[in-house]
Amino acid sequence: MPVFKVPFNGYSVKFSPFYENQLAVATAQNFGILGNGRLHVLQLGPAVTERAAFDTADGVYDLCWSESHDSLIVAAVADGSLKIYDLSLPPASNPIRSLHEHARECHGVDFNTVRKDSFLSASWDDTVKLWTVDRPASVRTFKEHAYCVYSAAWNPRHADVFASASGDCTTRIWDVREPGSTMILPAHEFEILSCDWNKYDDCIIATASVDKSIKVWDVRSYRVPVAVLNGHGYAVRKVKFSPHRGSLMASCSYDMTVCLWDYMVEDALIGRYDHHTEFAVGVDMSVFVDGLLASTGWDELVYVWQHGTDPRAP
Amino acid sequence: MADAPPSSADEKPQNPVSQAVQPVNHDSQDTKVEPVKETSPTSVFVNSEPIREEQVQNAVKFLSHPKVRGSPVIYRRSFLERKGLTKEEIDEAFRRVPDPTPAATATQTVVTTQDGQVKSSSNVQQQPPAQVVQPTPTGPVTSISKMGTLSRFHWYHAILAVGFLAASGAGTAVLFKNAVIPRLKSWIRRVVLEEDEEGQIKKNDSKPSIAEEAAAAAKAAAAAAADVARASQEMLTTKSEEKRCFEELISMLNVQVNEMKSMSSAIQNLEGKSIQGRIAVEEQDNRGVSGTTSRQPYVNGKADTDSHSVRSLSPPSSAEPSVPPHPKSYMEIMAMIQRGEKPSNIREINDAPPNPNQPVSNPRLAPRPKPWEVGQAQSSSVNAYPTQESSNSSAYEYPDNQLNGDDAAPWWQRKNVRITEIEAGEEQKRGSSNVLTNEQPARRSWVPPQPPPVVMPEAAAAIRQPKKASYQTEQLTDDQLLARAADGTDELQRITKFSESGGALEANGENCGLHSTEMPKEDNGTYLEA
Repeated sequence: MPVFKVPFNGYSVKFSPFYENQLAVATAQNFGILGNGRLHVLQLGPAVTERAAFDTADGVYDLCWSESHDSLIVAAVADGSLKIYDLSLPPASNPIRSLHEHARECHGVDFNTVRKDSFLSASWDDTVKLWTVDRPASVRTFKEHAYCVYSAAWNPRHADVFASASGDCTTRIWDVREPGSTMILPAHEFEILSCDWNKYDDCIIATASVDKSIKVWDVRSYRVPVAVLNGHGYAVRKVKFSPHRGSLMASCSYDMTVCLWDYMVEDALIGRYDHHTEFAVGVDMSVFVDGLLASTGWDELVYVWQHGTDPRAP
Repeated sequence: MADAPPSSADEKPQNPVSQAVQPVNHDSQDTKVEPVKETSPTSVFVNSEPIREEQVQNAVKFLSHPKVRGSPVIYRRSFLERKGLTKEEIDEAFRRVPDPTPAATATQTVVTTQDGQVKSSSNVQQQPPAQVVQPTPTGPVTSISKMGTLSRFHWYHAILAVGFLAASGAGTAVLFKNAVIPRLKSWIRRVVLEEDEEGQIKKNDSKPSIAEEAAAAAKAAAAAAADVARASQEMLTTKSEEKRCFEELISMLNVQVNEMKSMSSAIQNLEGKSIQGRIAVEEQDNRGVSGTTSRQPYVNGKADTDSHSVRSLSPPSSAEPSVPPHPKSYMEIMAMIQRGEKPSNIREINDAPPNPNQPVSNPRLAPRPKPWEVGQAQSSSVNAYPTQESSNSSAYEYPDNQLNGDDAAPWWQRKNVRITEIEAGEEQKRGSSNVLTNEQPARRSWVPPQPPPVVMPEAAAAIRQPKKASYQTEQLTDDQLLARAADGTDELQRITKFSESGGALEANGENCGLHSTEMPKEDNGTYLEA
């Protein structure tokens, strides 16, 4: 499986929802502490090639592809802004938008897969903001968390529902039609770095935390988790449910591994890949090819491989 | 405006994968829940527990604690949330505990207090221009609130000082009065008595009376002097008291000044991109500092040094978060930043949009259905594929692998088991590749319908249907196209070219069909409309 080397430290990788052979990578210089950033758009083929790259003044912490427009990408930048790029335009015309409202770093973005017209940004200024591509200002601001919000995820079936994961150790469920959060899950005793919904059961949500565990919750009875997945050696940075199998999820961690879990099974850990040589920070699963995984990390490498194969195999 | 695709309600029963994997009650609950959510306010994403009195009472005890009283409201709420209290329970607890610190609450403008949702709704649903203004001051607001409290302390202490002075002044005045008047009175009495005495004695002896008068006068003078001495002593003591007060005041002012200095330096750090803040948050991730600690990002590298001195080598089995070892260059960069140096590899980049009003280009592809949304389309499209043996054990099986073009299947699409087989048999078995892959275990293969790359004027017309062109109908046309595309390797080649190039279409005469995929302008807004 070809591997792609990027000049900066990898932070996030996402497959395109339109083209099965395209993916984008968010990177930040100097581990994202202080420095520039770059957004890469890669093409899969016999080798992985770079189709486009955009430089930013500050590190890019996350990205998401538009669900309605095949060449739009939203990037979450460490200076608090969101940049929108249009791949069908020449690089000199990009970015087409810069949305700067957050007071602190933008750490996560997610595009609505149901309504396909809006996206969320999660920021270290404790807020989540709702945007549409055509508006220059945010539509809503959700401010309830007491600490940094690391990630926000739309529900795959309910157009108005999303979840946010925060350093205040809670995950909140929101409905954009309601003024405040509709549920508060005190999911972990430590910071929650990522959350994702089960694509096949809209009431199941997974949270990944600094406490090295991933917990799976059913919002209908949220006092006790459905499953607690232990196995990572350090904080779990990102969790992603499979688009193809209901109970399958991928996670990446500061222990440099990418793990695959099936929370319905007794022995939940069904795959472990330790191809990265630094923190594994980004992971994604393709919606087109069942079992295709992509990951990136601080070792400046992007891997794309099929579950069951060795990511480092040539 | 929100219409969750009704397909999901039907999808569940058709999804054997999830059925096999999930408890059955999920399905029935989902199908029940789905329509309910749209019509009634009780959705499954809302907490419907009744208020638990015990929890509320615990919260009231917590909130009544003097130390808790002094903390910002948002941290109190956060603590209670982490303990598992619902919003209603927290609001009830706040209602029961009178809040004596209006300063703290007033500055937290957007935090839900006793009025809870009303307040947050009024704040959150502001006009967009106000919203632009709103988030940016929140950063400095917290610091200003602290400075505000500082200044309030300042005023408070100033008032105290003035009060002290006034009190001491009044005290001395009172003392004077108390001291002087009785002395005066006693002096007068003495004088009067002495006069009487003298009057009596005078009859006897005039000369001694003078001496006596003189003596009396002297005595009086001495008494007066003594009084004066006492008074001056008292003055001295009050003055020393004042001095003490002054000194106390000065020391308090010094303390305030130091605090203000630290605040201003913290603000500077905050303005200066809070690099230490970014580092500290990373360390937060690694150290897993619980939320009870105060906001670390504003603290200079303290968190940083603490965490790096702790390199835990303990086995990862415990849930206790430990610090993962950071890369060496990470440590070097951190050290540089601590020293105030900027890493040399940073460039000045202008990443502002060259034209902020750049119109968004037209999308070239219709949105493709997600694997978990496909169920309802599958039901209608199954009949369209008589050639496919897809025994619908899996609803997500699709006629696939028309992407296996060129010489070898694109490596990212090969399934584990079939890697070598497909490679070998690729060139010969083009037409039957579908069958081959369909023999795979049902669960493993799903590739979405191709984007319509085929010359089909009917399809183009279907796409151009205005409105009602929700992506579901688009999907159906895709399926119809696929049915026709299943025959003919030319089509396959065209399709593979299309996909290989990542959708970047070249204007070939032959590929005029590809143009049909372009979204006509009038439909541009379809997917962007709510």
